Amino acid sequence: MTRRARLIGPLAGLVAASTLLAACGAGGDRESDGGGGDSGGSTDIGVTDDTITIGAHFPLTGVAAPGYSEIPLGAAAYFDYVNAAGGINGRQIDYIVRDDGYNPTNTSTVTNELVLQDEIFAMVGGLGTPTHSAVVDFLNDEGVPDMFVSSGSLQWGDDVENRPYTFGWQPDYEIEGKIIGQYVAENMPDAKVGLFLQDDDLGADAEVGVRQFLDEQIVEVQRYTSGNTDVGPQIAALQSADADLVLSFNTPSYTALSQLVALRLGYEPQWFYSNIGSDPELVGSLLSRFSEGAVEGDNSSLDGILTSEYIPGVEDTDNPWTQLWQKVWDQEGEEGELSNFRIYGMSSAYAFVQTLAAAGEDLTRDGLVEALEESGESLEGPQLAPFRYSADSHLGISGVQLVELNGGASDPITPVLGTDIGDAPIEEDSSGQADDAPPESGIPEAP
Amino acid sequence: MQQLLNTALGGLTLGMVYAAFALALVLIFRSTRIVNFAQAPMAMVTTFIALTLIDAGYSYWIGFAAALLAGLVLGAVVERVLIRPVEDKPEINAVILTLGLFIVLHALAAVVFGNAYRSFPAPFGIRGFEVGGSTIALTGFGVFTIGAVVVVMALLVALFRFTDVGLRMRAAAYNQEVARLLGVRVGRMLTLGWALAALVGSLAGILIAGGSLVHPGYMDSVVVYGFVAAVLGGLESPIGAVVGGLTLGVSLSFVSGYVGSELVALAALGILMLVLTLRPGGLFSQAAERRV
Repeated sequence: MTRRARLIGPLAGLVAASTLLAACGAGGDRESDGGGGDSGGSTDIGVTDDTITIGAHFPLTGVAAPGYSEIPLGAAAYFDYVNAAGGINGRQIDYIVRDDGYNPTNTSTVTNELVLQDEIFAMVGGLGTPTHSAVVDFLNDEGVPDMFVSSGSLQWGDDVENRPYTFGWQPDYEIEGKIIGQYVAENMPDAKVGLFLQDDDLGADAEVGVRQFLDEQIVEVQRYTSGNTDVGPQIAALQSADADLVLSFNTPSYTALSQLVALRLGYEPQWFYSNIGSDPELVGSLLSRFSEGAVEGDNSSLDGILTSEYIPGVEDTDNPWTQLWQKVWDQEGEEGELSNFRIYGMSSAYAFVQTLAAAGEDLTRDGLVEALEESGESLEGPQLAPFRYSADSHLGISGVQLVELNGGASDPITPVLGTDIGDAPIEEDSSGQADDAPPESGIPEAP
Repeated sequence: MQQLLNTALGGLTLGMVYAAFALALVLIFRSTRIVNFAQAPMAMVTTFIALTLIDAGYSYWIGFAAALLAGLVLGAVVERVLIRPVEDKPEINAVILTLGLFIVLHALAAVVFGNAYRSFPAPFGIRGFEVGGSTIALTGFGVFTIGAVVVVMALLVALFRFTDVGLRMRAAAYNQEVARLLGVRVGRMLTLGWALAALVGSLAGILIAGGSLVHPGYMDSVVVYGFVAAVLGGLESPIGAVVGGLTLGVSLSFVSGYVGSELVALAALGILMLVLTLRPGGLFSQAAERRV
């Protein structure tokens, strides 16, 4: 035993050295080789010549499951679609989803399993601010790329030095707050603004953004604790402050609850919900029950409500991206219809596949991060505004479009507006990302 | 002023539900010295039974009746099948059993009814009444909630005070040995007690669900507040449970509206500690000689 153990040290060194040599060699030869069939490319944990193993944690059960549990189904459908077309650089994507029930303790457990037992190459799309916070440092310590966290908290992208492997994806809540704040300041200067905020990063980041423009117009701020479903006292306080425009940064269930309470109180302000709380299909299905003429059924229950968008949704049937998602879902999806949550999963999966393509054949964890930092801003995709990825920022999509909901569809009330955190100005997006279309094959190439 | 009124009314409606729930706990505790932790998931299950019926096209009232009936049956079955075998063991055995039942029912409901949020209809309007040009936070359904709990409480008081069955149940609860000697079928009385308690619990479940959203965990916070309400009232006294529930509902509503919703659970604990420090037996304790 001891003799063998002693042998392992030098052996490992030898293997490492030769792999390193081979890697250097492969890198140098690539141009002249034309990339044809060389198997000496360097690889990393979770990558073989013909597979890439990636993982994610999602709430598949529990209170956060409605809606959110559909996201990984969308992502899985898109990865299957890519695999059916031969994969990326000849590698099939193996996507492992584990259920954390939106409980941070479970997130730690399942992330340990994913990293240490399943040996994933990267975490892709792990969902939730409280949940992902519990594992983000572990992933960075282990050097596991932590791509496209499904949450708009700032912490995934504004601290590259301490979290070099983590990348955000959706627009962060601060820029969403800024864009909404500026719109209200310019177009509704007389509105008495009330804020209805979830009492965590979601509400706090958004409030910072909104206050840049609306500080003086705000008459009342109310925060609810996620899990306490009685929001009556909060809405009553907004009502008594005479707020006639309520900016709400909350999850979908609380959109339904706030609408129900407002009905009870006879409170009828203009509502402005953040993107994550405004899915008309989900909220509509929750509200449709309380008809009796009080709330209309189906998708129309949120008519006239303002919100924001950053990727085309399921009702934009003319959009080439939505058409691609429909095709992917018809071919590879499980039961049920395409939904906005499934599109969210596919959109983020698309960005990951594109990053894989950009990283090239010699796939390593550091190489993947480098590729995203270098080409991030030029990645094309369904997002309406470009990503902000660079060596200094790992924040995701840089802008949103404000829309009014009508019968489940959304009518734009502004062009796509882009900005960044802090004092960065808000400008109309000129990248043309909103008008692009996917390639014919539906599979991205390296940018 | 309007906020004060609306916060109070919201708290009152919610307090009535806590009161009903506390009443269910008290009913069982009085007769068996057991705190039934499974009360919340039992009520959740019966509410989902009602929802399934309503979804299948039956009227709200059929669902309502079915939920209460299901509660009655479920309570009796739990007593006969789970609690009876450990009856003459220490009470803690039965309490642990109810905790186990809590987990099992939760898991089963998730499998059978799914984990998603679903909306539960209300038989009356969910818009507030208009009084003098402004809307107050009291809905038709809110009035029904308050009325239903008051009626049920009155019926229970009448049952215990004025009927033979009530007398026998009280006797069985007070001293099983003596009651048996006097010809009371103690076993049956215990089953009946559990069944009635589960019925009241189901009522609380269906009342808090009406006009709102339900999922398998929706009763969990109610069980905590209902339990606090029951302890406030002394765990023995039905009137105490109702007063405790109302006090708690209104105070928590004010804490949430004027201090901060993150402090609601803390405030419940604060109230509980305050009352237990000043009156260790609860606000309405009387039977001190029975304390073990």
